[in-house]
Amino acid sequence: MAEVEAETPSPDVDEDEVVNKDVKTEKKQIQCPVEVVYCGECSLPVEYCEYHPNYEKCKAWLEKNFPDLFEKLTLADEKGDDQKDEKNKRQKRGGKGVVKTKKKTEPQTVTVARVTRNKKKFVTVIRGLATHDIELKKASKQFANHFSCGSAVTAEDEIVIQGDVTDEVIEFILKKFPQIDEDSIEDLGDQKR
Amino acid sequence: MFKKFTESENVSGVTQVKSSVIRNIRADLLEKYPPLKEYADVILPKKGSYKMVKCHERIEIIAVNGEPIFFRQRDDFYPTLRLLHKYPVLLPEQRVDKGAIRFILSGANIMCRGLTSPGATLSPAEKDDVVAVMAEGKEHALAIGIMKMSSEEIEKVNKDIGIDLLHYLNDGLWHLTDIK
Repeated sequence: MAEVEAETPSPDVDEDEVVNKDVKTEKKQIQCPVEVVYCGECSLPVEYCEYHPNYEKCKAWLEKNFPDLFEKLTLADEKGDDQKDEKNKRQKRGGKGVVKTKKKTEPQTVTVARVTRNKKKFVTVIRGLATHDIELKKASKQFANHFSCGSAVTAEDEIVIQGDVTDEVIEFILKKFPQIDEDSIEDLGDQKR
Repeated sequence: MFKKFTESENVSGVTQVKSSVIRNIRADLLEKYPPLKEYADVILPKKGSYKMVKCHERIEIIAVNGEPIFFRQRDDFYPTLRLLHKYPVLLPEQRVDKGAIRFILSGANIMCRGLTSPGATLSPAEKDDVVAVMAEGKEHALAIGIMKMSSEEIEKVNKDIGIDLLHYLNDGLWHLTDIK
């Protein structure tokens, strides 16, 4: 935080100019590495938040985490208020800057199924773990270690464990990943490939 | 380059880089970006896990300790924006006017008009130079590009594309933050 402030030389003296043009002379005094504050909502440096569709959210985030920075930015904002109407009109041309926002997938139920292989051998197929923010690769390794058998990530959001470990794996998941509710795990029983 | 780029689709493999290869890359980088020298040991530590992320279209990204720092297509290396934000001295700068920002943030190349208008500053640069794209009234870079014409030409022609955009805020590479 202290470093961020150090970049703008004496903000109280020429606050009006800092916003507009003084950035260039500032540059030479900058000490590397510069610490840039990235917005927690849109991941951009905070000064570019205004170009993000969810600007309101970014504002709230900034106000909560960096109140002093927030004040500075909104000050600059009010200044350019008269231009703002113009800007809003212009938005229609060339789209809204950054339009895409990442859609977060709803957590789904985790399903555990037993699939027959070779008539007398089984594999356990687990689906839906990724929607709970679990890294499949790591989870699969944990399964492999715990059950001492092969385990692999076979598709997007699918883990196959070799051997019939249906009941054990449900217990194991509940223990390892506390964010998963017992009700949201479903045992599908026998399934065909 | 990274407009439609996702880790799950465009990355074909991540490999550990051999130390001999690192040495070559390091020498290359130092030659291409002289200002890097001062911070070489911080940016490119002697001991650190170097990963090469191979992507489609011959794009390769170098990551140190999980953090992408340089990328290249075919042969030339370019710093990533996150690195550039930390070390703005790496690249020469061009400043565009305010109106251009939203177009750049959606991946447009930079037109000469955006560089010659009153809000912008055009600093001298040659054709094919790698530049950091700054914006009027903003402190940090918002994109990295290659000059399509020299500054003089831009001034003279004042039409069409002036800087070819490589990497910009909020594109696929920007979101590639953690490499395992």
